Amino acid sequence: MSRFLGPVDTMGCVPPRQQTRVAAFLMSCHGALARQLAVALIWERRPAWHMELNTQLYREAETVTLLLRATSWVPDPELLFLLPTWETAWQATPPAEIGDRTQGLAIDAAALGHAVHSMIRPAGLLPEQVPLHDPFALALRRIEFESGRVMQAQILFLKSTDLLPLREQVTSVVESRHRLVRKLWREMLAGIGVEPCN
Amino acid sequence: MPFLTLSSYRIRYELDGPQHGPAYVFVNGLTQYAELWSAYRDALVEKGFRVATFDLLGQGASDKPGLFISQDDQVAALGLVIDVLGDDPVFLCGISFGGVIALRYAVTHGSRLAGLAAMSTFAELSPQLLLLGNALRAGLIHGGTSYLQDLLLPMNLSDAWLGPQLGNLDTIKRQGWLTNDVYALQNLMESFLDFKPLTAQLPSIKIPTLILNGEFDFLTPRTLHETLRLQIPDSALVIIPRAFHAFTLEKPALTAALLLRFAEDVLSKKWKGNRSVWIAPETAGDPLIPFPEGHDHLRAIPAPEVHR
Repeated sequence: MSRFLGPVDTMGCVPPRQQTRVAAFLMSCHGALARQLAVALIWERRPAWHMELNTQLYREAETVTLLLRATSWVPDPELLFLLPTWETAWQATPPAEIGDRTQGLAIDAAALGHAVHSMIRPAGLLPEQVPLHDPFALALRRIEFESGRVMQAQILFLKSTDLLPLREQVTSVVESRHRLVRKLWREMLAGIGVEPCN
Repeated sequence: MPFLTLSSYRIRYELDGPQHGPAYVFVNGLTQYAELWSAYRDALVEKGFRVATFDLLGQGASDKPGLFISQDDQVAALGLVIDVLGDDPVFLCGISFGGVIALRYAVTHGSRLAGLAAMSTFAELSPQLLLLGNALRAGLIHGGTSYLQDLLLPMNLSDAWLGPQLGNLDTIKRQGWLTNDVYALQNLMESFLDFKPLTAQLPSIKIPTLILNGEFDFLTPRTLHETLRLQIPDSALVIIPRAFHAFTLEKPALTAALLLRFAEDVLSKKWKGNRSVWIAPETAGDPLIPFPEGHDHLRAIPAPEVHR
């Protein structure tokens, strides 16, 4: 196992099989977030949150389309088995800890977003020798950088005064989503010979 | 890599040196991780000390809670590490954020400690420190860990250290960037949102206390260390010449020698704090210089002392 993607080729590029697997995973989770945000936008009436969700939706769409273009894709039959597992994991699930089902779904969606944006550090997988302007490396750095900012809306919501009475339950949902995302991310990386340091 | 358990979280720690004997426990600053104390570990183990290092919650290889990290939990994590050391004398040493955790531990568990070394730290948030902390947090949120590092490096290290490293800064930053996660750093910073000043509790720290402050510390200037000196009865303030906030990274040999001398003085009962003020030598092992009488150690210019 290596801490980083690679070994890189003579041009310093990450092997296409690793690119394909990582990009497929990221497109799966960010695509799921985009779908959840699209649905949430229909119901959200508060102007500030409407604006924030709209911004987030387009950030997630940017991540998906960026990876579509920046990845050196190769056929990966294992994805036929992996993708359904990932897609099932991202599905909105009202947490048992939260009595109000609608509120629970909103907390679960935010918790999933927080986990995806905070736990997954794709740029941290890049070895030092990857060229600065390699398209795949640029995409991973962009996704990680934007995740730090997109996450702020989820933090604001999950730590909001409205949810303070539910602090323990919210924390439990967030930790649960973190564990799930960490497990799937690490399993996916282990499948391509990578064990990240964080 | 051994771990301790704090409720549902794991605390990564490391213990080096002999099986028994006096011990130093190091508490990291905000963006630090346990490996950054390796020079201290080597220097102190060579002199027969046990050395315990660990990652606080949200740091390095310890668990990183998703939303909230309380300073009480950090104190509890530190307590677990100290418990591993049994009944041997323990010297607790913390820098900056870790200094606050060490102070809090000393307030509540002072009897467990043989001595305390508080470095580049504070007991209350001055307006400057509050605003700087807010700005650093905003920098982290908008620019990520890398931008926070860009802000902290020139604030905390001297030109003498930075100059030769300018072409190598990306490599220096990389390990810290890999180790630190934005959300975890943010949680650590936000553990100060409801911070209550410790000043009123400082007099309860009766143990020998060494206070170390860089001459040019911009982030936690002399006045914040002066609070510690005035409130902790058996304390001495030592000013590290030409040093900034992160002098433990910049001058490890000198700082390790100061910590060693402090522990040896305490163990041999030679230590006399007396709220005295000293200037550290430029070279490790040279004697401390008493701060010139009649001058104000809070000023940068040699102004006569005004009794407050």
